Amino acid sequence: MNNEEAKFILQGYRPNGLDAGDATFCAAVEQSKKDPTLGEWFAQQQAFDAAISAKLAEVTPPAGLRAAILAGGKVTAASAPAHRAWWNHPVWMGLAASLAILFAAGVALWPKQASGFGDFIFADARLSATHGGHGHESSMLQAVLNDSGTHLGHKLPINFEELSGTGCRALNYRGHEIMELCFKRDGVWFHCYIARIADYPLVAMTDSPTIVDREGSSMASWKDAEHLIVVVSKSGRKSLEALL
Amino acid sequence: MPSEIFTQLVDAHYTPLFRFALSLTKSSSDAGDLTQQTFFIWAKQGHALREEGKAKSWLFTTLYREFLRGRRRAERITALEDLGPVEADPPAPEVDVVTGMDAGLVVECLQEVDATYRVPLTLFYMQDLSYKEIAEMLEVPIGTVMSRLSRGKAQLRASLARKEAGTKSKVVPFQNTTARKLS
Repeated sequence: MNNEEAKFILQGYRPNGLDAGDATFCAAVEQSKKDPTLGEWFAQQQAFDAAISAKLAEVTPPAGLRAAILAGGKVTAASAPAHRAWWNHPVWMGLAASLAILFAAGVALWPKQASGFGDFIFADARLSATHGGHGHESSMLQAVLNDSGTHLGHKLPINFEELSGTGCRALNYRGHEIMELCFKRDGVWFHCYIARIADYPLVAMTDSPTIVDREGSSMASWKDAEHLIVVVSKSGRKSLEALL
Repeated sequence: MPSEIFTQLVDAHYTPLFRFALSLTKSSSDAGDLTQQTFFIWAKQGHALREEGKAKSWLFTTLYREFLRGRRRAERITALEDLGPVEADPPAPEVDVVTGMDAGLVVECLQEVDATYRVPLTLFYMQDLSYKEIAEMLEVPIGTVMSRLSRGKAQLRASLARKEAGTKSKVVPFQNTTARKLS
């Protein structure tokens, strides 16, 4: 680095010393310490720059400027629209809410409804001793279920809206009712659950009965045009097959 | 934005901003307006700035951009980068002469420097920003800042020398640096 290059760099060295740690100036400053001519030039520059800076620092703003800025700033801030982070914009919030609802509905309805429906019924049937209500003997449906000569697995005389008035248990699963009746055939108790297809559109059942065994219980399920029908037995698969 | 923070910001920066604005506009009233405008922009949108430490650079940059925006409406900007090479250092006034000069007179000399050089030169003499920060603010390379400082100082020395020669024959007291129209 020659002296002209050093001078060019040292032009930017502030007289208050704040640039002392800046690597850009180190070599030039070191050179000014070794070269008396450059050193003298640099000292004059620093003195001149310091004098100009001091003069500039004597300039004071007009009286009242500070108060005007503060007052105007308040008015401006008050009239400015509330700051929102980008994600807090109504459009994004609305979109996020919609996605959340869709996600929640998807989680709630899709796979869980299909598998959860059966789980729920199995769990309830396990607590059959606490059921209590078995329906009125005068109910047509109850009579059909109790009739040992009736084969199940087909359409049953179901009036869903009237079932609760006939003494059936009403269960609530995912916001909708499932009615339960208990009936007895050949000394064995069975639990019949009835739900509306419209309330559980994702639960897949066939028109003909399907039997599933699980943890010592068996479950036969089928559907008619409007209803999902499940019959649970704790007396084994054969007892169920005898009903169908 | 909490008013306490705004007050602190104003107290910390409104004086250097006014000085910078004065060197740009050459008018105390215009400098006041420009300084106010800068803070009002902050009040409106500056709270989006996450790093408080960058407030100073943001304020200086905003003030300068506002100045340029206003000036573009009024006049065509002359490109001064194509001027000839820097003249040899003119004889600079003695430091004690500068020290003895009225502050307003020194500011007048600074305002006679071409605008392209005056902006970085003023920022340099205010000592608030480093040459790197000045380069970022003006969006020019560091070498350009150094070059403009060199040319600006040369013009300032020449201006000071002229003023000094003038004051020797005619003394004009400068009593109010804040209210006087400097252009």
